[in-house]
Amino acid sequence: MIRKFFKRRKSHKVLVIGWDCAAPELVFDEFLDDMPNIKRLMADGMYGKLESTIPAITCPAWMSMMTSKNPGKLGFYGFRNRPDYSYDGMMIANSTLVKEKTAWDILSAAGKKSILIGVPQTYPPKNVNGCMITSFLTPSTESQYTYPPELKSEVERVADGYMLDVEHFRTEDKGELLEEIYNMTEKRHKVAKHLMETKEWDFFMMVEMGPDRIHHGMWKFFDKAHRKYQPSKYENAIRDYYKYLDKIAGDLISTAGSNTTVMVVSDHGAKRMDGGICINEWLIKEGYLTLEEYPDELTPFRELKVDWNNTIAWGEGGYYARVLLNVKGREPKGVISPDDYEKVRDELRLKLEVLGDENGKPIGTRVFKPEDIYPVRNGIPPDLLVYFGDLYWRSVGSVGTRCVHTFENDTGPDDANHAQHGIFIMRKPDCKKTGEIADTHIMDCAPTILNLLGVPVPDDMEGKIIGS
Amino acid sequence: MVNFEKRGFTLWFTGLPCSGKTTVAVVVEKELRDRGLNVESLDGDEVRQHLSKDLGFSKKDRDTHIRRMGFIAKLLSRNDVATLGAFVSPYREVRDYLRSEIENFVEVYVKCSVETCIERDVKGMYKKALAGEIKNFTGISDPYEEPLNPEIVVETDKETVAESVEKVLKELENLKYIPSSSESVTYTTEDEEKIKKRLKSLGYL
Repeated sequence: MIRKFFKRRKSHKVLVIGWDCAAPELVFDEFLDDMPNIKRLMADGMYGKLESTIPAITCPAWMSMMTSKNPGKLGFYGFRNRPDYSYDGMMIANSTLVKEKTAWDILSAAGKKSILIGVPQTYPPKNVNGCMITSFLTPSTESQYTYPPELKSEVERVADGYMLDVEHFRTEDKGELLEEIYNMTEKRHKVAKHLMETKEWDFFMMVEMGPDRIHHGMWKFFDKAHRKYQPSKYENAIRDYYKYLDKIAGDLISTAGSNTTVMVVSDHGAKRMDGGICINEWLIKEGYLTLEEYPDELTPFRELKVDWNNTIAWGEGGYYARVLLNVKGREPKGVISPDDYEKVRDELRLKLEVLGDENGKPIGTRVFKPEDIYPVRNGIPPDLLVYFGDLYWRSVGSVGTRCVHTFENDTGPDDANHAQHGIFIMRKPDCKKTGEIADTHIMDCAPTILNLLGVPVPDDMEGKIIGS
Repeated sequence: MVNFEKRGFTLWFTGLPCSGKTTVAVVVEKELRDRGLNVESLDGDEVRQHLSKDLGFSKKDRDTHIRRMGFIAKLLSRNDVATLGAFVSPYREVRDYLRSEIENFVEVYVKCSVETCIERDVKGMYKKALAGEIKNFTGISDPYEEPLNPEIVVETDKETVAESVEKVLKELENLKYIPSSSESVTYTTEDEEKIKKRLKSLGYL
């Protein structure tokens, strides 16, 4: 009797499987019949599109998910952020700059154990009640990428050499790329399963970058609407990879045990990329940006000689654009009077919104002012954030083609862009069939996880508890 | 973290209501956790609910409450826990008592003018106190005795939260209660360059 009384109650656990960039159109529809484990989770639980942050990009999206704070509050407007108003200062948003509490910080304080694998913005690794392997935002496997440090050798032994990311992403050799992606995913899975089986945990979260890498590298082979679509032996490469993801997810789910709530989430979705808008070429053409010398060849913006005394604005490349204004009293050689700031910003916004494709056909560009989308803006936000063609077009920062539109990316082949909505699937141990749910936001994940583990949700978390 | 031996201590934030004690303490708490310390935070409202439900806000009751908190902080500190307490704790005598009882006691005076606190008035308590609806309200109808020799003074009406946090962390580093940020964080310019190169290659930049 006494023994029975003291027997530890089997406590509820939460497993989060993160697939960076996994698209709802693929998971919930096109590939669903090839993904039996995901299909079962969806049938026995709830699922829906997960609205991402603006910008819909790995950083800040995963950290927004895990802190339940918007990018403005986090002070992360992309992978790199301005530390000051100089022209060349840009700082990588590493873990030391994450000042808000993550779900695992709160769980650690409550005595719950976490295992974290590959969650972006966790390098350098910090203390956690449990263990952590950092993400692709780690310099290399030479770095100290685990907590505790001694975990590193265990990881490398189990995986037979760990991979933080694919090394040759910008290759035309798609066979090599595929091999690397599978290799990376397999290694991460081996480590995940090993840690799940050998360490104590209440919260387990892993993020697999493979879906993002395969979308960017191979979308044109599968999407017939893609400008560069061509029938090839890689037609089913993305589908096959999702099938593989489903298989290994099934393995983790069964290893986690029946008393575990399972979530499968992504930080944003994916869509074909129609082309690129060379933001700085456009700014030059419109008279907002002046160079001392126009380059002879395609040149990254940072290497250009900019005539700052005659420059009103400049832009950053990436899956979305950031436009920065050269303001008097703010930037070192600012030219816009603070009184004219709003006028110039509105003018740029309007012009960017109506900028069409190479034939002048509207593409539906969306332009955001930080104060309209973030209640608080810590750090230094860009003056405008731009989704060219609602993310069907990317932003190209380099200069040298004298063209505003481009169909060759300045950093190598890339077929896909990000979409605003990712995926959310959740099955609780009671398998209550809820079906499709709406209005789910990326910031809802952390409070949902805390609630499932019986830990009070801090008042300052911005998201809601899903399925309460 | 290299060669750092954990030692417990109590970081006691005192100041007027709405002076920013909790705001600063919450950020400090996260930073201490990130640096690998075992941290416990004694939250004013929560502990009152659990341990001092029987007490009111007379001087005697307040002193009793603070002594209870001090006792818990002492137990935690001596077991190598970094313990944070954020309490108005307006009376010098009881704070001095805590200092005599707790070995590694660090007093943080969260200084802020009463005018600014009234402007902030997070819970609307000042408004009620000024209207005479709350008796014995520190700063309005009850005195706040400023610390005479606190280890740290932060001035939340003159500094940003980040500056106040930095002051606290610096002093804790000086006192060798926490590892310095250079010991606990390894992120170099070389790291930054490698990551930038990868991000560029991946198309993020």
